[in-house]
Amino acid sequence: MNVTDFSPIIQFLLEQQLNLDTITLLLLFPIVITIVVVLRQVIGIQAFGIYTPSFITIAFVFIAQDSFWDIKYAIAIYVIVLFVGMGMRFVLKKLRLLYLPRVAINLTVVSFSVLFTLAVAGYFDRTGFASTSIFPILIIIMLVEKFVTVQIEKGNRTAIILAIETLIIALIGYTILSPTTAIGRYMISLVLVHPLTVLLVIPFNIFIGKWTGLRFNEYLRFHDVINKIK
Amino acid sequence: MFESIRASKNILGMNARNLTYIRPHNLKKAKRLADDKIRSKRMLKKAGVPVPRLIAQISSKRTLESFDWSILPTSFVIKPNKGLGGEGIIVIYGRKKGTNNIWIKSNGKTITAQELKTHIGHILDGEYSLTNTPDTAFFEERLKLSKTFRSYAYKGIPDIRIIIYNKVPVMAMLRLPTKESGGKANLQQGGVGVGIDMARGTTTTAVQGKSKIIEYVPGTRLLLSGIKIPHWDEMLILAIKAQEASGLGFLGADVAIDRDNGPVFLELNARPGLSIQVANMAGLKRRLERVEGLKIKSAVRGAAVGKNLFGGEIEEEVESTSGKSVVGSVEEIEIIGKNNLKIKTKAKVDTGAYSTSIDTELAKSLGFEHVINEFDKIDLINYEITPKNEKFIKKAILSEHKIPDLIDVAVVFASSGSSIRPVVKIKFTMDKKTISAQVNIVNRSDLKYDIIIGKRNLYSFLVDVSK
Repeated sequence: MNVTDFSPIIQFLLEQQLNLDTITLLLLFPIVITIVVVLRQVIGIQAFGIYTPSFITIAFVFIAQDSFWDIKYAIAIYVIVLFVGMGMRFVLKKLRLLYLPRVAINLTVVSFSVLFTLAVAGYFDRTGFASTSIFPILIIIMLVEKFVTVQIEKGNRTAIILAIETLIIALIGYTILSPTTAIGRYMISLVLVHPLTVLLVIPFNIFIGKWTGLRFNEYLRFHDVINKIK
Repeated sequence: MFESIRASKNILGMNARNLTYIRPHNLKKAKRLADDKIRSKRMLKKAGVPVPRLIAQISSKRTLESFDWSILPTSFVIKPNKGLGGEGIIVIYGRKKGTNNIWIKSNGKTITAQELKTHIGHILDGEYSLTNTPDTAFFEERLKLSKTFRSYAYKGIPDIRIIIYNKVPVMAMLRLPTKESGGKANLQQGGVGVGIDMARGTTTTAVQGKSKIIEYVPGTRLLLSGIKIPHWDEMLILAIKAQEASGLGFLGADVAIDRDNGPVFLELNARPGLSIQVANMAGLKRRLERVEGLKIKSAVRGAAVGKNLFGGEIEEEVESTSGKSVVGSVEEIEIIGKNNLKIKTKAKVDTGAYSTSIDTELAKSLGFEHVINEFDKIDLINYEITPKNEKFIKKAILSEHKIPDLIDVAVVFASSGSSIRPVVKIKFTMDKKTISAQVNIVNRSDLKYDIIIGKRNLYSFLVDVSK
């Protein structure tokens, strides 16, 4: 796609020295959030709230830019961060420390394990993945606190289920928006050629926000009750 | 398929709960009250709702350091003020013999004052608080398990969740702690929820966790249905009073029963869960819609309305376990006669009669006019109607007169006069069941109902005379 194909708005933004990646991601972000909203409100995938899956989606899109299957590295970091975070909670529990210092120690160990993972990835596979920017990785690390909170409040099982759901949402979002897929490329050209179409998510969200129907997973959950009353 | 979609309109989903019920009816102020256990305790007590006694509270590290442990009774509960889902609660059963600062927990293990102190420290740091912000810890009296539930509850105390909307109790369930739930009565943690018939306060169907339907207390042969909840009416009224005092329009009220003090109000819940629908095998949405806009003047009135509107699940329960439908003493039926002639009418259901009789006119409309005409021609005076003669009469008539569709002859002995009647075969549909019946034809023109259904054709029904 040429710069001349872009909407005049985008061309104007580029003239003001804005980075094309930044523009694209900012325009895709409302779409990411809306995808998460639909998956949560209509399908019923819970995940960790709305921010976490959205940010993780963006992080995934950012980490795996060159080829679709680079997503495996992003998943690897995700899984390692969660496992280390969870494991550390059990180790630290025995020390009987106050909450915040405990989280600090936990995150320290998580940071070192990510560093180690990147080093290993760089050693075996020189695709440039190891030189990924720190921000998407920090976003994934942020997940640890969220995860630990849920672990405390709702137990390990729920925390793991929510982590898996978050991963699923992020992968769906990644598939729809990554420049490595056909649909992703279409979405990107759409937002660059007609950036204002993104605003359609507002009426769409107003509709979803007023919708009081059963979520897809509730049909499954209340299946027996529905059969009983019909 | 369409039926399922229609039935699903009875179910309250998360979206409708949040948008239609919680948002407009549970204002922020009321929600904050519900999330603050100490404040709601005070508020409820003022409104005359009994609550577990508050022993002491600790709101800072300094008070924790200087706390006098000797003021505590032998058994008590420690709770975080803004806790969620029963997390951070420690139940102390008693002091270890011969010690002063070692206690026994509900799981039989001991805990020292030092360990309790660390736990309270975590509570103060907000580890168990809804918002992860600094919190207060408090001690309250421990409720004692009432006799009714002794064999049903694993360790902890069962409680009763009642959904109150517009001052009317709409649905309720008994929550039993199990081994899986670690003695907590919370469904999400594997507790058992048992539906309750609102009118009678008797348990019906049960669910464990989010959607597993069960019949017995896990690991036992104790039936979960049919448990009579003690103090039922009193509990409904407590819950309604709590709604009035708290200002929560859509309330999940948790009430427990103390062995010594009877019903005690445990907790206000501004965001009641939806599994109660699975426990009751019934939808909440339709029930909420039915009490919408009613003007309820008092708690007693509200309880009566709830009981009237939402009782009766027991009946369905009987139907599903016995396979029989429950009918009243007068039922709307459809009769299928000759050549598929169909007539709708009201039937008298009478377990005092042996066989089923229909009126002459009705029989004619059902296509049996020729039977009646032919039968009238028979000279019946020759037969002496006595029980001894019954077999003979039947045999004689059936062999001498070949009338099409006449399948039998009934000899009826009644105080008002005995008679010989023609018998034909019909089918009737009552409460969705189709029964094939041999019915006798008699003049019932002076009676209110033109068909009376007797015992012989009632084997697949139970008769509820109050219906």
